Amino acid sequence: MAHSEPFEDQLAALLPRLRRFAHALSRNSADADDLTQATIERALRSREQWQHGTRLDSWLYRIMRNLWIDTVRARSRREKIEAPAELADRIGEDPREAIDAAIDLQRIMDSMEQLPGEQREVVALILIEGFGYRETAEILDLPIGTVSSRLVRGRTALLAMVGEQ
Amino acid sequence: MTSDEKFFAWLDGELVGAEADELERQVAADPALQQRAAAHRALQARLSQVFDPIVAAPLPEGMQEALQQPKGEIVDFGAVKRSRDAGRNWGPPQWAAIAATLVVGIVAGAMVSQGTGAPVAVQGGKLYAAAALDDALNTQLASAPDADVRIGLTFRDRRGAICRSFTEPAASGLACRAGNRWQVRGLFAPPEGQAGPYRMAAGAGPNLAVLIDSTRAGEPFNADQERSALAAGWR
Repeated sequence: MAHSEPFEDQLAALLPRLRRFAHALSRNSADADDLTQATIERALRSREQWQHGTRLDSWLYRIMRNLWIDTVRARSRREKIEAPAELADRIGEDPREAIDAAIDLQRIMDSMEQLPGEQREVVALILIEGFGYRETAEILDLPIGTVSSRLVRGRTALLAMVGEQ
Repeated sequence: MTSDEKFFAWLDGELVGAEADELERQVAADPALQQRAAAHRALQARLSQVFDPIVAAPLPEGMQEALQQPKGEIVDFGAVKRSRDAGRNWGPPQWAAIAATLVVGIVAGAMVSQGTGAPVAVQGGKLYAAAALDDALNTQLASAPDADVRIGLTFRDRRGAICRSFTEPAASGLACRAGNRWQVRGLFAPPEGQAGPYRMAAGAGPNLAVLIDSTRAGEPFNADQERSALAAGWR
């Protein structure tokens, strides 16, 4: 990628992928889009901290992941227990096929939600975003062995949940 | 590394050389491991099927606005969210409906046809390369000069299928191996001013670049790898 492109253009090109990552981390699409918005805001404000010549995508994923952790912490302080909204409330009305796709997405998001956060982020980065183990270790600032062992636990638990659907 | 970690590292293409060969042999000799590999490949396919349309979907309105703010200005995301909630609700149904299963830009109808000769054929609700496009994907290397269809990058997706990007006069796109055919994953109109005697260059267009980026696992093939893949029938 040409690094002479304006920062905003590079960020814009990466937004669809970031939005997918947000969906893998969040409990529903509204939260995912809020997280994506917050990541854009933080990235624009912190752009001076990004070092040219390093990967912008890794930097943005790291920002999003950290914001997500902050959000989860804040939420667990705020709401001890929250009854999950009925699936039907979350998807509104639309043509049949779109509803099926939305339900399918929400089901998987619900399963991802059951994973401990430290496993969910590894599963999301490697199995959904397609990063390698080493790249993931760098984004999360973890030893590669930790990434590898969390991935084993996360994907095994996820398969047990998704396999039943 | 535990044996579990090693197995998954192999499955994810993280092992190389002798270690990879060893795992390959172990799995080949063990039906239980084969079954496990298949189950996890299916899980990954399911995740792709559900999450990948997000990459192809249009962004919610507020996000574009956020990027258009003057440099350094901080956006009131509360306000953006309130206006969004008041107006259109971009939940899953909307974008899922728009994204459907395939990324298709604005492409002339002549590209896709049920007749003969068209480069893309519809079958069972899916698009497959046909005619000259199919030939090019099967037989042509990226280095081939001055062909009607130009091949760009060749790489594997996360399920291990080989994918190739292409540019032909009416469109550029991406096709991935599905059985013995090339399933078209995306088709885009050529960037403005590049129709006709087009250039391949890096000018494949931003949509295609994003699709490639979100599809590929690992680096694109070099010329040698591309030749071996051709010789191996794109398995």
